Parts: sequence; C-alpha cells; structure tokens
Amino acid sequence: MKNFELTKLGVQSVQQPDLVKASNPLYRFYKNANVRFIFFGALLCLIPYLKDLGILNSGMIITLGGAIIYAIAALGLNLLLGYAGLVSLGVAGFIGLGAYVTAYFTNDLSITFWIAALSSIILATLIGLLVGLVSLRVSGLYLAISTLCVSEILLKTFESFDMITGGMTGKRASYPTFFAAALTREGTFILLVILLVLMMMLTRNLIKGSFGRALHAMRGSEVAAQAMGVNLLKYRLLAFALSTAYAALAGALYVVFIRSAYPTTWTITLSLNILAVVVIGGFRSIYGTVLGSLIVFVVPDLLLKKLPVIGEIPGLAYIFSGVMIVIVIMFYPAGLIKLFSDARDLALRPFSRKNKERKAVS
Amino acid sequence: MNGGLSTFLQILLRSLETGGVYALAALAIIIVLRTSSVAHFAQGTMSMFSTYVVATLCAKRGWPLLQSLCVGVLAAVAMAFFVDFFIIRRAKKATAVGKEIITLGLIMVFLGLAPMVFGVDPLLMPKAIPRGGDFKFLGASLSHNALLNISIGLLFMSLLFFILQKTKIGLAVRVTASNEPIARLMGVSTRNITLLAWIVAGILGLLSGVMIAPATTVSTVLMNPVQLNALFACVLGGFQTFYGPVVGAYIIGIGRNLLMYYVSSEWGEQILYVLLLAFLLIRPNGLIGRRFVKKV
Repeated sequence: MKNFELTKLGVQSVQQPDLVKASNPLYRFYKNANVRFIFFGALLCLIPYLKDLGILNSGMIITLGGAIIYAIAALGLNLLLGYAGLVSLGVAGFIGLGAYVTAYFTNDLSITFWIAALSSIILATLIGLLVGLVSLRVSGLYLAISTLCVSEILLKTFESFDMITGGMTGKRASYPTFFAAALTREGTFILLVILLVLMMMLTRNLIKGSFGRALHAMRGSEVAAQAMGVNLLKYRLLAFALSTAYAALAGALYVVFIRSAYPTTWTITLSLNILAVVVIGGFRSIYGTVLGSLIVFVVPDLLLKKLPVIGEIPGLAYIFSGVMIVIVIMFYPAGLIKLFSDARDLALRPFSRKNKERKAVS
Repeated sequence: MNGGLSTFLQILLRSLETGGVYALAALAIIIVLRTSSVAHFAQGTMSMFSTYVVATLCAKRGWPLLQSLCVGVLAAVAMAFFVDFFIIRRAKKATAVGKEIITLGLIMVFLGLAPMVFGVDPLLMPKAIPRGGDFKFLGASLSHNALLNISIGLLFMSLLFFILQKTKIGLAVRVTASNEPIARLMGVSTRNITLLAWIVAGILGLLSGVMIAPATTVSTVLMNPVQLNALFACVLGGFQTFYGPVVGAYIIGIGRNLLMYYVSSEWGEQILYVLLLAFLLIRPNGLIGRRFVKKV
C-alpha cells in the first residue's frame, strides 16, 4: 500500500535491498563489474577465431583491432570530457607520440615492447602535464586551443624529425614479444583485448575512488566542490594527464598491431573521430565508449562502404560521424549506450504497469 | 644594412596581408563566441566550403571573380543561417561544451561534404588583380593584389567596428555580448542578433578564404592554418574584447613571418606556437583581456 502511494506521488521505484539475492555468492559474482569486464573481454577474444571459421577476413580483424585501440584512447578522453567537461583536440598527437616512441625504442634500440610502451606513456604524460599547467588555469576553451596547437607541433615533428619518426615514408615496427615468444596478429589482437579490459577496470576504479568523486562534485558545482576542498586545477590536470597517458598507450599498441605509422594518420580528423566515439557512445559510460568506437571505426568500414550508390562517396565516414555527433548532442545526450536501457524499459513497460495495477487492487 | 632593412620591411608588408586574413577569421570567431557563447571551431571548415564554391565557379565554370564571389557570399549566408537556425538554436539543452562539440561535429560534416560536392582535385583560385604591377616602398615591394587584400581587410574591419560602436545594431550586438539574458529583457532580439553574428562570421570567413587561396590551392585543408592562427589570435588578444583578437592576429602574422625568415623556415611556425603557450603562462587572459571573475 505504501509503495503504491509513493508511485502515485511520482516516486518511480523504491528499491529495497534484496538481501536474499545479495547474500548469494553466485549472484554477487555475476553482478561484479570486474567479472563482467572479463566476460566482455573473453567474448572479444573470440573474434580471431571467427576468422578461422571464415566469417571474418583479416582486414576486418585489423579494423576491429583499430577500434579496440581507439577505444582505449577514447576511455581516457571520456575521463576528461565526460567527467571534467574539458575538450582535448590533441588526442591524435599524443597517440602518434606513443606510436613513434614505441616504434623507435623497439625497432631502433631493440628494447622490449613493455618498457618502450611505458616510456612512451611517461613522456606523453609529462608533455600533457606541461600543456595542462599552461592552459588549464583560465578556462576549458584554452585547453581545447592549446591541445590543438600541441597536436600541430607534434604532427610537424613527426613529419620533419625523420631521424626518429621516418618522416613521410613512415616508421615500421613489428609484433610485440610476450615472455620471449613473438606474437602473431591474432596474439596481438588478444593482447589488445586484455589491455582494453585492464583499462576499463582501471577507469572504473578511478571513477569509484576519490578522484572520481572529486570530478563528480566539480561537475555538479565548481564552487561547491571548491568549498569542500577540491582543488579544481589539480583534478583537471590529473584528468588531462590521464587522458594523455591512455592516448600514448593506445599509440604504443597501434604501432605494434598495425606495424607501421605515417604522419597522415595523426591529424585533427583522428582527434575528432575519437571525440565522436565519446559523444556517440555516451559520456561517462565505459561500455558506451567501446560501443562508440565500434560505431565510429567499424560501421563505416564494414557496412557503409558496402551500401550501393552512397557507399562510393569519399567523405562518407566523416559525414556519418559528424552527423551522429550533432544528432546525439541535440536529441540523445546520454549517448547510444542508453539505447539498451531505453529498449529494456520499453520492452518491460507492459509488465510493470500490470504489476502496479495488481498492487493497486490488493 | 640597407638590404637588410628593405627585407625586413618586405616581410612586414607581407605580414600585413597574412595578418589581415587571420584578423578577419579571428573577428568571425570572436563575434560568434561573444554573441552566442559558442566556440566556433568549424569557422575555418565552413569558410573552406564557401571558398570552394567561389573557386569552382571561377575555375570550372569560368565565371568572373566578382560574380562568383557574390554566389559565394550567398552560400556562406545560407550555411550560417542553416547552422544557427536549425542546429545551434535547437540545441538549447546542450551546455557550452556541448555546443563546442556540435561545431566540432560540423567540421567533420563539411570536411566530408566538400570532396563529395566539389570533387577531390584541388582547384586554383585566380587573384583579384592577376597581372598587376608592384607597389614600391623603400626598396620593399608589394603586389597590387596584396595591397588590395590589405585594404579590403582593413576596410571591412573598420566598417564592422564602426557598426559595432556607432549604430543601434552594433549596440544590440555589444549588449548581447556583455549579458545575453539582460539584453533579452531589455527588448533586444538576441536571436536575430546571434543569427546576424553567424552570418557576418560566414562572410568574413569567405573573405579570408578567398584572400589566402591564390597563395596555395583550394583543398579541404585550405583553412586549417588560418583557423589555428585565428584561434591563437583570440587567445593572444583575449576573448573579452572585439578588437583584441584583431591585434593578436596582426602580431601573429608578423611574428610568424619574421620567425620563418630569420630563424627557421621549417620550424618557425612551431616556435611561434611554443612562444604563445609560454605567453599564456605570463598573461593567461591575453594582451587586452581582463580577469574574468566568476560570481556564485
């Protein structure tokens, strides 16, 4: 009866802790976010085997691997854009930095992939900290413009500093080694999935911790957050540094998976595509970011290009991402990941109404 | 020594041309930013698109430049109207960052549309004065075309500032820029003012595009350096005034050319960008900017 009155008042659902379910270890295991991430990763690991079954070809594996790599960079951008509300237009530059440093270390200096990746992450984070320190003191717009400029500087460096980057002819790299065993393309793909799952877990833990709470508070009200002792500059800087670190890791993975890097890859359009991933997938959603990455990087390659007539248009992928960005921001700001919960609500609506009526009768 | 001086003067005069182009683009960005509080990142891409219209008519259809320019203005106005009326105005619920992201999405849309509409081959833009002589000044020379560009840029900017400072519409724009809700309460039709700002920005962008185009070819990346330098001009001059970005644009134009000639032709631009980032450390609000005090 009490429940019924509450629903009448507009209180949608009064969730009571389901003690029976919560005490069931299997249920807790199933509900554990980290376990779910691992399940998700295990599903993704099946993709290389689809090739053996003849469902996918190796081109599709490369496209999907690229989407996973960009999803890692987008996870970092989501921390920055979704939680701290800051736009970075230099993601591509930092991915490129990670790629070239890793390629130089593994190929020219023959250092193992892991140390190379780690040093590229540290280098990118240091540059990110410097840029953030300069630009974050004023307003968010300054970060967008400064990162745009940094990515131009980096791009120019990639083109001209050909001693290390190979210039316009590109830089080569090889598949990484894992405990002295050289990986194949499929093995590298699984490595990508493992790192994606690890980054998803890390992102979730960051968000659930004090860092995430501070960012949440800042999003609600900057002034209130400051009053509670949250140092705005510190947390913004941290968010930006983290996003560059994610980008550098993505770059390191890119260069060992694709095995080459050209300056034409790291332009502003890649940064915009990664921004599109975050916006289309859903702000502050980890699965949404992966979904967005699949939509932005896989759908144009695997679906749109196969369409008759409009599939021939050269700029179709850009138009697709751009229009999606505008539509999602205007009409569906929570991102496409909300489609799932909306669809579930829609499907369950008749049942829940029946439930209410039954309660009303009793 | 005299040769050195005339070279310096030559660079300075050339910089007036590039600086003027940056100033027009920067003015377009700041007008939109101040009236509708949208950081208009797609400014450069939209100018690229309208410049393509002019270049296509000139190069492919053989129209005279003036007529193509008129059609280009119409295209720029139509695009600005479309973007403000159908997108930015409808996105009321979006935050400032949301609108920023919308303009970033528009970059991709126009970048994708351009090769579809105009083809993938870069086009050549004719000069306004194709075979004009040179204007000599203390050993430095400047083509008549460059002189025309400089004067048109200055003319448009002075016209704009005259309208901003001396007319009723200008007053309405300044009121909207300083406080949009209060301006609305005072009876200013801020919607129309914002629309006007977008349209003016579109035309300014087209002008900057047509001026810079003969120096290179018209392609999708035509306006990227202009847009970047214009954004930096806004940072350098400060976002609080209309004339700050213009001053910033001329400083960037001159600084860029001087660095490229005297320091390094390859790295000059990058050195300038690094210097600008360093400048942000000293004066975060720009040359003319005031400190922005946020009230609760």
